[in-house]
Amino acid sequence: MQEFEPKIVAFVCNWCTYAGADLTGTSRIKYSANVKIIRFPCTGRIDFMILMKAFENGADGIIVSGCHPNDCHYSTGNFHARRRWIVFRNLLNFSGIDTERIQFSWVSAAEGFKWADVVNNTVKKIREIGPYENYNKIAVSTLFKEEGATNE
Amino acid sequence: MSRIGVFVCHCGENISATVNCEKVAKITGELKGVEFSTDYKYMCSYPGQTLIKEAIKEHKLDGVVVAACSPRMHEPTFRKACAEAGLNPFLCEMSNIREHCSWVHPKDDLTTEKAQDLVRVMVEKVKKNKALNSIKVPVTKTALVIGGGIAGIQAALDIANCGHKVIMVERQPSIGGHMSQLSETFPTLDCSQCILTPRMVEVAQHPNITLHTYSEVESVDGFIGNFKVKIRKRSKSIDEHLCTGCGLCTTKCPQKKIPNEFERGLGFRPAIYVPFPQAVPNKPVIDREHCTYYIKGKCKICEIVCPTKAIRFDQEDEVIDVAVGAIVMATGFDVLKTDYFPEYGYGKYADVIDGLAFERLASASGPTQGEIRRPSDGKIPKKIVFVACAGSRDPAKGIEYCSKICCMYTAKHAMLYKHKVHDGIPYVFYMDIRAGGKNYEEFVRRTIVEDETQYIRGRVSTIYEKNGKLIVKGADTLMGAQPVEIEADMVVLATAGVANHGAEELAQTVHISYDPYKFFAEAHPKLKPVETNTAGIFLAGACQAPKDIPESVAAASGAAVKVAALFSNDELTRDPLVAVVNRSAPPVYSQCVGCFLCQSVCPYQAIEREEIKNRNGEVIKTLARVNEGLCQGCGTCVALCRTKAIDIHGYSNQQVYTEIMALLND
Amino acid sequence: MSDLIKKVTALLNDKTINAFIGYEKGSADRIRATFIRNEDQAQKLILNASCTQNLAGYLLKHEVKKLGKLGILANVAALRSIMQLASEFQIKDGEVYVLFANADGSLTEFTDFKSIEAFLETTDTGIKSEEQEMIAKLEAMTVNERWLFWNKEFEKCIKCYACRAACPMCYCHRCTTDVNQPQWIPVASHELGNLDYHLMRAMHLAGRCVNCGECATACPMDIPLNLLTYQLISPIKATFGATAGMKADAVYALSTYKPDDKENFII
Ligand SMILES: Cc1cc2nc3c(=O)[nH]c(=O)nc-3n(C[C@H](O)[C@H](O)[C@H](O)COP(=O)(O)OP(=O)(O)OC[C@H]3O[C@@H](n4cnc5c(N)ncnc54)[C@H](O)[C@@H]3O)c2cc1C
Ligand code: SF4
Ligand code: SF4
Ligand code: SF4
Ligand code: SF4
Repeated sequence: MQEFEPKIVAFVCNWCTYAGADLTGTSRIKYSANVKIIRFPCTGRIDFMILMKAFENGADGIIVSGCHPNDCHYSTGNFHARRRWIVFRNLLNFSGIDTERIQFSWVSAAEGFKWADVVNNTVKKIREIGPYENYNKIAVSTLFKEEGATNE
Repeated sequence: MSRIGVFVCHCGENISATVNCEKVAKITGELKGVEFSTDYKYMCSYPGQTLIKEAIKEHKLDGVVVAACSPRMHEPTFRKACAEAGLNPFLCEMSNIREHCSWVHPKDDLTTEKAQDLVRVMVEKVKKNKALNSIKVPVTKTALVIGGGIAGIQAALDIANCGHKVIMVERQPSIGGHMSQLSETFPTLDCSQCILTPRMVEVAQHPNITLHTYSEVESVDGFIGNFKVKIRKRSKSIDEHLCTGCGLCTTKCPQKKIPNEFERGLGFRPAIYVPFPQAVPNKPVIDREHCTYYIKGKCKICEIVCPTKAIRFDQEDEVIDVAVGAIVMATGFDVLKTDYFPEYGYGKYADVIDGLAFERLASASGPTQGEIRRPSDGKIPKKIVFVACAGSRDPAKGIEYCSKICCMYTAKHAMLYKHKVHDGIPYVFYMDIRAGGKNYEEFVRRTIVEDETQYIRGRVSTIYEKNGKLIVKGADTLMGAQPVEIEADMVVLATAGVANHGAEELAQTVHISYDPYKFFAEAHPKLKPVETNTAGIFLAGACQAPKDIPESVAAASGAAVKVAALFSNDELTRDPLVAVVNRSAPPVYSQCVGCFLCQSVCPYQAIEREEIKNRNGEVIKTLARVNEGLCQGCGTCVALCRTKAIDIHGYSNQQVYTEIMALLND
Repeated sequence: MSDLIKKVTALLNDKTINAFIGYEKGSADRIRATFIRNEDQAQKLILNASCTQNLAGYLLKHEVKKLGKLGILANVAALRSIMQLASEFQIKDGEVYVLFANADGSLTEFTDFKSIEAFLETTDTGIKSEEQEMIAKLEAMTVNERWLFWNKEFEKCIKCYACRAACPMCYCHRCTTDVNQPQWIPVASHELGNLDYHLMRAMHLAGRCVNCGECATACPMDIPLNLLTYQLISPIKATFGATAGMKADAVYALSTYKPDDKENFII
């Protein structure tokens, strides 16, 4: 059987993790191609709805990553983000959504190795858990039903 | 219907080695709304940019996606090219298919597919981009220089000589930094004080420079061109206007046995003191921790003897606010604490000292007036062992990197020793001799050949005392790791150069990044060595990495030019990637309900209240409004606003939503 | 004539208020909200054990606001709603005249926020034990069981938005459900649209919900959606030390942070 190739979206801040991922590249450290990055100015910009949209469009896993505490380019965006994640994870968990599928991390602009590790470990973990069928079931089926309606 | 152009770069072979660029261009060229697509060897080169410009004109493109390296690298390049071709620069986006794709994945179909996905995301995003105009902000033409070592001094003088105001903050009672402690400097052996002191005085007297010693930066707000800084001026316990610097107080202070930091503990100082004779400003401060009056509540001898009545025991710290347009970080370095190496006996044996202490011994103004006398008994040592790499290049116990300056100053120390003690025998334990630099290798050669220094390649394993001698045990790796044992009279450890204490906290205060060793991080290791990732903040000297004096000075002048260039404008143009609160027709006026829950999340206090009034002047609705001069575009408010009343240009709800859709639905 | 009617009549007559929000008898023995503007109408006011609805939500409704200076009959939940709305700059101190119905039927009047805050400090504001048990039961399930539980509940939702209309904190002029650029929440009431709506609403109420239960009471499909927001109350209190609707100048838990906020999931 062919190995399951999970779809993983990474939402990262421009100043730390995006730059860290750039460094992973400059250092030619290899990681799995399953993860694709969407750039945000700051983790503070990452709205919880964005994570929901990723799941319902077929993501099996999500990475959210930004600057370490105290290192935020905007000084405090990541602190606000952290609070929201604490609450949001609680809600997801209570609603029956698998928080194992969202990996939160702090990866600085100097942590090229760490970024590769975060990606590889997340891919590994999601491979083990398998496709997000619960969400896929409602997402794919409904999207089919009203194609064109929600998707512009 | 959009008319998007897709430009896929090979980056030589950096991208095309693992990504099939032609295929990416071809497949993405078939996307809805893509009018033109092509691939090219070097998109950022002149012909590459020309290709984009021509395509914009020829195909009347209304959006451009450049699939190449990181936007952190070339986004400005391509946006500028678009602007030159008449396309609003904010209608240009980049797909990062190099750092995030070709360099991190092997050559296979998946990698090419990923590149296609990344391009598709940006094609969809760019369709939602809006033409934006840059924002203009005024520039405060005053620079803040933090740290008054040689780097800070050089930067301050250069900026001041360009006609701009400079505020210098130094946490010690005097400026000068490490250079003021040095005896003579490699590779020319000129006396450090002689070349430094005139510049220190120049700083003090320059009409454009305001000096705050014994002071630290407490907070930094704002942004390039418009920083607001709080400086804490620690109380010196004297009235600087009255003090003439006569120094009478320092001779009468009953506290006489305080180890002198400047002399690396080789001498003593009183509680009211000037750190060294050439200090600038040459006025004393009271070290409250050691002052009898502050400890016991009585003494005040200095107050009694002071002819101008300048002593102020009740003086408090003062916090001042300054507005500056640029900041130069010049806080220097520190040397690794030697207690990492108990086997070298530092702190245990008085005659095991570090390099800075040796500088003081060799300095004409030092505790021995420049005679090399060992600390324990004042005798002239006949054999000195110098240990290079004490902590450097030692991931297990010290630091991984090379401290760069130690090879050179160790050679200098051996040479100075030989010049002063003709019958002395210097030994140097080293790992490699790194003497890259103009006249550096020649300098080391002279130490070895002319000054007969015994260089032994190998690490020292232990140092212990026996019969009044220091037994240094090591191995000579050039002689097949043969054990070596030297009976020395004194040992000098070339301890590693490390980030200054407090560097991490300071970086956080001013909001710049730092590397894992806590040295401040430059924006680009090659092309932006004196810039930081925070616009308007620059680096000078050894706060960035260990540097010798010429390098520190060069970096300082580099930073000064950046500041001067910034100050050559009255206004700055800024990316308009800021937040906006939506507005609509009455009676709703906006989706904003005026809950102001967003107000406190803004790190820049950019969210203001706006009252909507009716014809009678009554307030009918209070709404949030973003001050676009203050907003830095973090978007934290956007994610917080539950009614989606605030949005942000460049990362708008519509844009990020579209990106996710495009990424996951091919 | 009850104390309540007397009091309200007096308030209306001396123009302390222009309208009073209270309860009246509706059809089929149901109790409903009423808006009293004169002595005659005041005679309809009732107050009994069935008068449990949180009336504070009406304070922000456009049609009600138009009536002028308002008085309101408040229970604990309404007092907390007023505090929360005050902290969100929706109600100003002294703007609303509050009559609180004590358990013994007597009335306490609150003319300023300070006195409401003081009162709430010594009052039980927690959620009911049945609800606590229900939450505990859900928490004891596996993630998948919880998913199935909510899936089943949300399946029933017809997106009538009665919950939103009943919630005193859902006072947005344009709810995100109605935002269509982009269409964050699918319009249709299918499983996905319903899940999206309920998760979104719960996040919007996190740290703001005053556990009045109006949303669940209003729901024609008997969905226990109040549990979603109730469940967040204790972690928010435990982690951030914040409880909604206790102070008029409170800072919203998600509008602030502590540098050492504790979490155990960020690597
Ligand atoms: C033993 C030894 C011998 C050396 N010999 C030579 C030589 O012969 N030739 C040569 O070229 N180089 C030599 N060097 C290197 C030389 O000392 C450095 O290149 C130089 O001092 C770097 O200057 P700087 O201004 O960057 O840093 P520093 O000299 O460290 O100055 C930094 C200044 O910033 C201040 N500061 C720090 N933190 C703060 C803060 N938070 N707020 C305000 N102020 C702050 C400090 O008090 C200090 O005054 C030697 C170094 C050592 C250790
Ligand atoms: S922009 Fe949003 S969060 Fe801010 S005051 Fe308006 S509604 Fe509230
Ligand atoms: S995006 Fe919002 S929170 Fe961030 S700086 Fe701008 S106004 Fe402030
Ligand atoms: S669900 Fe959210 S956006 Fe909608 S009315 Fe309630 S708080 Fe406002
Ligand atoms: S009241 Fe019930 S059915 Fe109506 S939208 Fe709310 S949860 Fe759904």
